[in-house]
Amino acid sequence: MHNVENSIREAAKKLLSEKKVDLIVGYERGTLPLRTTPCFVDKAEDVRKLVWNENCDANLSKYLLSRKENVGVVAKGCDARSIAVCIFEKQIDKEKVVIIGAPCLGLIDKKKVKAKLDGRELLEATIEDEQIRLKGEGFELVFPKKDFICNSCLTCRHRNPPIYDVFTGEKVSEAEVDEFGEIADLEAKPAKERWEHFKEELDKCIRCYACREVCPLCYCKTCFVDQTMPIWFGKTNDLSDTMIYHLVRAFHVAGRCVDCGACSRACPMNINLREVVKKTEKIMKERYDYTAGLSLEKIPPLGEFKIDDSQEFIK
Amino acid sequence: MDKLGSVMVIGGGVAGVQASLDLADSNFKVYLVDSLPSIGGTMAQLDKTFPTNDCAMCILAPKLVAAGRHQNISLLTNANLKHVEGKAGHFKATLTRRSRRVDEDKCTGCGVCAQKCPVEALDKFNEGLSKGGAVYVRYPQAVPLIYIINKEKCLGCGICEEVCKAGAIRYDQKDEELQLDVGSIILATGFDEFDPSLKTEYGYGRHLNVVSSIEFERLLSASGPHAGLVLRPSDGDIPRKIAFIQCVGSRDATCGTDYCSSVCCMYATKEAVIAKEHMNQIEPTIFLMDVRAYGKDFDKYIERAENEYGVRFVRCRVSSIEEVPETRNLKIKYEPEDGKLIQEEFNLVVLTVGIKPSESNKELAEKLGVELDKFGFFKTQTFTPISTSKPGIFVCGVASSPKDIPETVTQASAASTGVGELLASARGTLVKKKEYPKERDVRGQPPRIGVFICHCGINIGGVIDVPSVVEYAQTLPNVVHACDNLYTCSSDTQEIVKNRIQEYGLNRVIVASCSPRTHEPLFQETIKEAGLNRYLFEMANIRDQCSWVHMHDHKAATEKAKDLMRMAVAKAREIEPLERVALGVTRRGLVIGGGLAGITAALALAKQGFEVDLIEKNKELGGFLRKIHYTLENDDTQEYLRAMIDNVYSNELIKVFLNSKVENVSGYVGNFKTTVTLDSGSEVKRELEHGIIIVATGGEEYHPNEYLYGKDHRVLTQLELENRITVAADEKFGNVVMIQCVGSRNDEHPYCSRMCCGEAVKNSLKVKEKDPEANVYVLFRDIRTYGIMEEDYKRAREAGVIFIRYEEENKPKLAKIKSEGKEDLQVSVFEPIIQEDIIIDADLLVLSAAVIPPQENGTLAKMLKVPLNEDGFFLEAHAKLRPVDFATEGIFVCGMAHSPKPIEESISQAKAAVSRACTLLTKDTIEAEGIIATVNPNRCTACELCMLVCAYNAIEIEETKRGKVAKVNSALCKGCGACAATCRCSAIDLKGFTDMQMNLIINTLR
Amino acid sequence: MKPAEKEWTPKILAFLCNWCSYAGADLAGISRMQYPPNIRVVRVPCSGRVNPYFIIKALQRGWDGVLVSGCHPGDCHYISGNLVARRRFAVLKDLLEYLGIESGRLNFSWVSAAEGEKFATVVKEVVEKVKALGPAERLVKR
Repeated sequence: MHNVENSIREAAKKLLSEKKVDLIVGYERGTLPLRTTPCFVDKAEDVRKLVWNENCDANLSKYLLSRKENVGVVAKGCDARSIAVCIFEKQIDKEKVVIIGAPCLGLIDKKKVKAKLDGRELLEATIEDEQIRLKGEGFELVFPKKDFICNSCLTCRHRNPPIYDVFTGEKVSEAEVDEFGEIADLEAKPAKERWEHFKEELDKCIRCYACREVCPLCYCKTCFVDQTMPIWFGKTNDLSDTMIYHLVRAFHVAGRCVDCGACSRACPMNINLREVVKKTEKIMKERYDYTAGLSLEKIPPLGEFKIDDSQEFIK
Repeated sequence: MDKLGSVMVIGGGVAGVQASLDLADSNFKVYLVDSLPSIGGTMAQLDKTFPTNDCAMCILAPKLVAAGRHQNISLLTNANLKHVEGKAGHFKATLTRRSRRVDEDKCTGCGVCAQKCPVEALDKFNEGLSKGGAVYVRYPQAVPLIYIINKEKCLGCGICEEVCKAGAIRYDQKDEELQLDVGSIILATGFDEFDPSLKTEYGYGRHLNVVSSIEFERLLSASGPHAGLVLRPSDGDIPRKIAFIQCVGSRDATCGTDYCSSVCCMYATKEAVIAKEHMNQIEPTIFLMDVRAYGKDFDKYIERAENEYGVRFVRCRVSSIEEVPETRNLKIKYEPEDGKLIQEEFNLVVLTVGIKPSESNKELAEKLGVELDKFGFFKTQTFTPISTSKPGIFVCGVASSPKDIPETVTQASAASTGVGELLASARGTLVKKKEYPKERDVRGQPPRIGVFICHCGINIGGVIDVPSVVEYAQTLPNVVHACDNLYTCSSDTQEIVKNRIQEYGLNRVIVASCSPRTHEPLFQETIKEAGLNRYLFEMANIRDQCSWVHMHDHKAATEKAKDLMRMAVAKAREIEPLERVALGVTRRGLVIGGGLAGITAALALAKQGFEVDLIEKNKELGGFLRKIHYTLENDDTQEYLRAMIDNVYSNELIKVFLNSKVENVSGYVGNFKTTVTLDSGSEVKRELEHGIIIVATGGEEYHPNEYLYGKDHRVLTQLELENRITVAADEKFGNVVMIQCVGSRNDEHPYCSRMCCGEAVKNSLKVKEKDPEANVYVLFRDIRTYGIMEEDYKRAREAGVIFIRYEEENKPKLAKIKSEGKEDLQVSVFEPIIQEDIIIDADLLVLSAAVIPPQENGTLAKMLKVPLNEDGFFLEAHAKLRPVDFATEGIFVCGMAHSPKPIEESISQAKAAVSRACTLLTKDTIEAEGIIATVNPNRCTACELCMLVCAYNAIEIEETKRGKVAKVNSALCKGCGACAATCRCSAIDLKGFTDMQMNLIINTLR
Repeated sequence: MKPAEKEWTPKILAFLCNWCSYAGADLAGISRMQYPPNIRVVRVPCSGRVNPYFIIKALQRGWDGVLVSGCHPGDCHYISGNLVARRRFAVLKDLLEYLGIESGRLNFSWVSAAEGEKFATVVKEVVEKVKALGPAERLVKR
């Protein structure tokens, strides 16, 4: 991990001093335990600020959208993939971005940590030897790190960025995981039960749009729910409106979503939003053998067709 | 004598219709004459078409409708030519229009007469397989949709007269005579089917379960007698084993039809595939001599039929068919290649009938003074494939020889070019431009909707409570007037509509009646005459999709009509006038490629007065044709080529760029800009402006890696042999072995090169002519001497040329055998009839090498943004009906750039491309579609997804002050709306079918 | 009879492409093929024009079923509009069903201009399916 952090700093320094980029977007230590925040470094001497650890959870590709200057960006596998999608969609200029790829073994899910704290305040956290030590007033807890890994990381098959300009550290082995295992149970249920499940889950939504704001692919100038002339769908908390909001958002990221998990992490109501979008990933894989963000040239499924595409649902 | 700017086209099949449309679109007045009561010809009878399995009616109907409503086309149906005099430039024709006993001006096509007619007559269209009345239309989508009374069947009972509320029945209507003055004539008379009862051994007419392939086609059709179910005539059972017997009336000297009908191998395979698709239990077997899948992508179709659909192909002639009395099954006796006689039982036998010259040809030829060939087709020559023996009279399609639909359509367009060249000076003199009142500006005004609800005689009114719908319409928002009419489409109601528009100040009009597909243009015309933009119109289909399909539930039908009314009003409240933008046209052409096709195209454009830039990559014109010295008919190709090249250089409208290549193309239909690089020592760049582009980049001969080619001087390609024959004075050839399909129909080039069989036959005959002692062996997989070429194949066999078939898996082998100090070439091939290898000592080994696409096609295709097929040839917009067009408007393809083909077909295609180009070049401006996509720049993120789904390259990204946004090129947009439905940001909308309108329609649910 | 007792009949919204399916529906009429009167047709130029919003909105608005019909693959008047649409519909249908919408409410077909009979059959089947499901509830905004 330190090795990666150092090599990120070196790469950043080199890029800045050689004037290849005007700015580095990376992570710096946050003020709270287990936190990092995005940071912007424009001087070579400031690269010390940059950190690399299991808490670098923000998808920084969001910060690259319609930037004018040359930018170097620190990117995990999922980040790099969403950058690739945005490059294909011409939202990020390939010529102006240098991807500093870093291998990732999984992020810490703060929500999982929080659940173990029972409302107590966390003052210090350390991670060593695959163990996480949580300290606060009058308590100290030790857990295996794997208990806190984000669900999106547990099914990740691209821990090494598939697209990068500079690679830092050593490549890690890719895990053989059941990509879509987490929704299998739900899929196997009858329609009525699925409906009840989603009803219950999405009824929690307060329409704060945090999911949309963090999503690297939600870059529409006016989101469909905010459009008038015509107003397609309402912005109310009515269950139908809410379900449709999430349905349409899932449709809009179909063939583009890289399952970075940002939406789920951002949701203040703890809705498992990945459960909705994960399905789109599966559809794309099963119907069109497509995984988003692995190439800068390949046309995404909804932008092309084959004469013999599956059509079992058409009479 | 002045030339006339009008043309008579005889025959309303797909050829006649295409020729008429091209001519009418390039400002000639057209009289389209058909002896039948409706146009559409044979193609309207087809179910699906090979090799794409397109629905024939789906693709043909729009063309028929376009011809039916074209301002420059007069349809003269149920009419025959009586007499012609005059000459090229001015013919005087007399026609007889036979009485329909129905008033064409009054009949609305509503069909009540046919429903009530008590007479059951056999339906000719369904090949006698189903029944209809004495008053009928040939097929449901007939153009013109006017009924006709069959005089033989009519009882004169008067019922139709009684039920026809339009008063269109005229029992006393007489035949009439008509005089036409035209500058030129096109013959598009099509063909007759061979009458299978003439081949008595097949038992057609005696055995119930022996049907003709045309009858079988109707059986397959969804609009056929059993709605697409394949049932055999004797007992209505599903036939499990079906035998197709090929060449019934083709390649058969005993019937005087010793030509190949060209289409039967493919259409029988198609019928077998479709039958299998309809009913999986069917097992089709096709008995044939050769698989003649010589067209573009045909071999792939055959392969799929064999491997995916399990169609069995058996090579043999069938000797007899016997009926099994108990089951009415059929026992077929045949002898496959290995000579063992086999007897097999089938449930149904389909006789694949060949093409016969139209019966009417003889009479026509006499009246017109043109020559027929020995079979009775109109006679043409290799270099003038669309000219008859008489100047000013052109011919296209099967009227001159058997051919498939794309070639027929190609020739139709080519014939139109023939007319264009002849009558260029008179173009536009006989077409009238209709004047309309100035359009009222209704933008910003609140909608004032007028609703006209049609009874359609009793078609609607007999089911739907029309007055209650009128009453209901009056309650809907913005409706200021609603009324009902007996026939809204009748000419007196059109006047009423116009008056009401004035009287009530209507600015939106709704007609609730039949289908917008047939009647929208009529009503749009009416409101345009009343000063309203044609798009301020909406229709509610309460007949075809309501009263006719819910005839027994009057209440529900009335409720549905009200809902449809409410939906129409919801949309009408949001419709806006749309503009058809007029775009300027640079009246100049660019032809890429200076071979036969390119030269032909350039000259045809120049003859019609258009300037042309002709680009050739080599240092001289001529291309592939430089290597061909004579034709099967012994024409001197080099002399022809020299004359053509002289014509090019002496024509001041043509500018030739040699050693040149296209470097960049920008712009769009009517307004292209091309950069050309000239390599003459130093590179020079030229910017050219032009309105159209014709791609004629040709083909190249494959350089074989097989059979020691290039390693032994005795191994030649067919073209090299041809050169040798031409230069050598009196050579002794000895044993000449030709191997067909070298580099064709294999994994590398999985297509047929089309011309090689003809070349081999031609050169064998020439070798035999020069050296009668020579022995010529042709080793082939299938001999594909389609059409009239079949005769030459026969001629070659008679001259002693030996043809030996080989299988792909068992290709001929070449060995070098040392004897007496020299090395002999020895070819061995497995002979399927004697089931043994035979060995031939070859003095010359001639390889029929494939025709391959030039490498540069890829780069050029990208520049033009047009597609290539898998084989690297340019891919046309539609394999059947748009054979020389690209989906991108203003760009055309011809010659071997499209696919390998012989001389006359390249010439036809080049002329066809010019005809299509002239529909644009003859206009001052091109009118864009009104219904097109439009971008809201405030929403667009320029993600380019719309560009990916646009099939017409109509969207590009533009740099604006607000950043990059998508922009729709109104000249290229066809208004499909795929972009609008794809855009996540709803930044693109489709005019005429806007999101707003769709949203309101959906919201009308009660 | 009180309104509450009135027998429910499904309302189905159909988007038909102008060139094939709408023509097929016309042909069903020309051939006087009878089918249930529960369908309301919206003519669109191409099945490619059908935005997922149209379908979702219809379900939210309370239409009991939706039918989208276009040209068979290869027949599209606009070359490939139906093929682009086919992918869009596949994803939408999979997603809607995943959320728990009854699959019988979403119907797609290819109907050519010559397939009047097929159109009538499709309508009959769709109406039967939707009748069996009962009035739309899920996703309907009350």
